[in-house]
Amino acid sequence: MSWLTRTALLAAVLHITPTVILVTRPEAVTRLTPGADAFFAREVHLSDADAHRLHTAVDWSPDDGVLTFYTAKRAGSPVGAFVFVRVDTPHGPLEVAVGFDAAGAVRRVEVTKATVETKPWVLEALRAGLTDAYAGLRPGSGTAPGGARAVRANVGALPAYMAQEVDKGVARALAAYGGFYK
Amino acid sequence: MLYELRRADLRVRFLVTCLLATFGVSYLFGGWMVALYAGFTPAGVAQTYAGAGMAMHMPPDSTVVVEHPMTMAGFAESDVHQVDLNLLVQDTHVHVPMYGVIAGVLSLVALGLVLPKGWLLGLITLLFAAPWLDFAGMWLTKLVSRDFAFVTVLGGWAMGLGYTIVAIVAIRQMWFFKKGALE
Repeated sequence: MSWLTRTALLAAVLHITPTVILVTRPEAVTRLTPGADAFFAREVHLSDADAHRLHTAVDWSPDDGVLTFYTAKRAGSPVGAFVFVRVDTPHGPLEVAVGFDAAGAVRRVEVTKATVETKPWVLEALRAGLTDAYAGLRPGSGTAPGGARAVRANVGALPAYMAQEVDKGVARALAAYGGFYK
Repeated sequence: MLYELRRADLRVRFLVTCLLATFGVSYLFGGWMVALYAGFTPAGVAQTYAGAGMAMHMPPDSTVVVEHPMTMAGFAESDVHQVDLNLLVQDTHVHVPMYGVIAGVLSLVALGLVLPKGWLLGLITLLFAAPWLDFAGMWLTKLVSRDFAFVTVLGGWAMGLGYTIVAIVAIRQMWFFKKGALE
């Protein structure tokens, strides 16, 4: 096979399709922290040592070394926090929004972005109840996110694969929140 | 003259026409996609590739926390499609080889056109320079300054111009030259 054909095939196989928004950020914010009337961005600029610690824990470093958490309040009292985490997959990026309640447990998870190619797989996993499996998880509890395990029997191979990637996003959010939110 | 498309067998001319039509459809949808994500203005490209930038210099030895209020409008702005460094590396790795193949194929079509040598060299340069400008602009916007976004816009238009010139001249020479004029 000529180099030209090989290059063309490689490019076709690896082509990343554009990002699509599954849930807009304002909509995700409303779902993750219902009733909140004020929001604050908490940007944690990680030192080299902390960035290394996070990377060792979940094999991930946030963009530009900055973790951005959002705190939600109602009438001045905290109602929870949330974080948007990107997961790069071979089929393009996913964005997972993970919301925590005031006690620090996962309240809800939303998949906010996928790609044209992965959208149907993600939607199939979501219809099978993927995000229900994350509610109540706590950072440092030792329980790994088990969304993929919960839906595997009811979805195809690619939706199950995307569910694993969403698990990865939730695991990153748990590690980030547990280690650096306070 | 390596070969002349206008004298080529009907089957070859049909093949080249199909190829140009397919590329044309692909470029139209490419333009649509650009309109959906980065837009055609330097400001849109800068927002996509440069990102918001660092709010402060990151101290090397200690973690620093900065807090500020957020509005719903602020969250909505975050929905703008942004390409960070990792994605740009991936995009460059994936797209540049394909752009090279397309520029190569269009150059092969151009070699079969009856044009002065200087024009042909210029056209081939344009076909290959376009993707280089496109990605150089993205990288310069990401790493040096948002002001370089115009280079990507320039690359995009150059890509469209190169294809348009090859397609128009090729179709004209292959299908609209009178047989008698060749003798």
